[in-house]
Amino acid sequence: MSELDNLIRQAIAAEADERVDPRTVLAELHRRRRRPLGLIIAAGATAAAVAIAVALIVPRTTPTVNNAAPPAGTPQTALLIGLDDHAHADAIVLARVGADGELSAVSLPRDSLVDVEGHGLNRLNAAYAIAHQEAKGEDPDEAGARSLVKTVEQVTGTKIDHYAAVKMSSFGQVASALGGVDVCLTKPARDHYSGVDLPAGEQTLSGDQALAFLRQRFGLDKGDLDRVARQQAFLASVAAKLVRSPDKLDDLVRAVGPHVRVDSGWDVLAFVKRMTPGSAVRMGTIPVGTPSNETPGLPLDLTAVREFVAKFPAEGAPTGGTPGKTTACVS
Amino acid sequence: MPDGYDQFVADRLDRLLRYATAITCDKHLAQDVVQNALLKAQQRWDRIGAMDAPYLYVKRIVTNEYLSWRHRRAARDIASSHSALAEIGPTVADPAVQHAERDAMRARIAVLPRKQRAALVLRYYEDSTDAEIAAVLGCTEGTVRSHISLALRTLRANATRTVAEVL
Repeated sequence: MSELDNLIRQAIAAEADERVDPRTVLAELHRRRRRPLGLIIAAGATAAAVAIAVALIVPRTTPTVNNAAPPAGTPQTALLIGLDDHAHADAIVLARVGADGELSAVSLPRDSLVDVEGHGLNRLNAAYAIAHQEAKGEDPDEAGARSLVKTVEQVTGTKIDHYAAVKMSSFGQVASALGGVDVCLTKPARDHYSGVDLPAGEQTLSGDQALAFLRQRFGLDKGDLDRVARQQAFLASVAAKLVRSPDKLDDLVRAVGPHVRVDSGWDVLAFVKRMTPGSAVRMGTIPVGTPSNETPGLPLDLTAVREFVAKFPAEGAPTGGTPGKTTACVS
Repeated sequence: MPDGYDQFVADRLDRLLRYATAITCDKHLAQDVVQNALLKAQQRWDRIGAMDAPYLYVKRIVTNEYLSWRHRRAARDIASSHSALAEIGPTVADPAVQHAERDAMRARIAVLPRKQRAALVLRYYEDSTDAEIAAVLGCTEGTVRSHISLALRTLRANATRTVAEVL
């Protein structure tokens, strides 16, 4: 063995000897022992994320929808990805047009703990971030989206036909284009990371306020889950506004169009044609386990998730897009 | 199989902590990383416990946990605290030279890119084969060899220089 090898061994061993006392770790592990898997099913989310996302990506040729062939019998599934400005997938929604033309949307919290191929257990949004970072010679956005699609397919046991990614920063423009978006808060929201500073109660958010409202993650009781509820509430409100004033759709498409990316093989119009016009959108969130104090994510019970997604929309799942109805308050 | 898991923790916790401390060069980060990895392993123990090499798999979780760590301290900070340590540390005459040399090496290892350091620790501390290292890092054996040879080249170049400076 060379002298250098020897020195390296000694150095690494000395470093390793610095470890903390295993007994402290044992005690900590004991304290954080997994609590029974509680199922949180976010009900009450009356959002229409899909309707919006589809509305956002429908080309200006929308009127041809009326001449469309009747919806085909095969269900179609698309993954809708909301990205922040640093290529982090913050909103992940599985949208499906069923055989009956009904639209359903299932949110997957980005902090869900999943197995990312080749990278072990990670948060769901890492599937996008890692592939985006490691993309060599290919479009990073495309690599990220494809990896996320694959991961969500694996987690939900559902085949995904297409994806669309939208920059969430454009949601501020959405709010502006619609002359503000109405939301309701159960308590005041104040946090300097996101810059959010809003009172409790019903209010109309301007573009900047809407962005902060959608971005806040710190200081929320349920963290990312609360944020998912906000995304759904925001989109429900946008949907309600669009139903009231359909003429705003033009402004909306103009605001968001440049910030949306769709996979190259997706004929969005055909996807939209499958939908039964005017039918309700059913929204839900996959069941997730209770996070333990410092575990960086939400544990999933894959059997429960797959069952939920397969059966969704279950009887009595909340519907969205009701015109003129006030959105449920969120925290 | 909770018994299997508890037994695993009892048998391997110290070794995992040493391993994590060596790859992170930060014992507190190492503690977090190992705790999180073990909690994750516990949730899937029925699958992991049935594997041929649960230790290798858990080590992989530990490694990934670290490689994907966002809020890590800058490697430079660690390195400078290490060289400061190295300067203050030794007080006795003869072993002191040895210690100084060893601690200087620690500081140089601490500034290697994370994957290179992990590969180095796996080979020199865990005595893993290239195939095992590849499995832990989730890369090919070729990549493992290139990580290690790059790391050695850096360490060798710097080692010669520091020894020369010392003498």
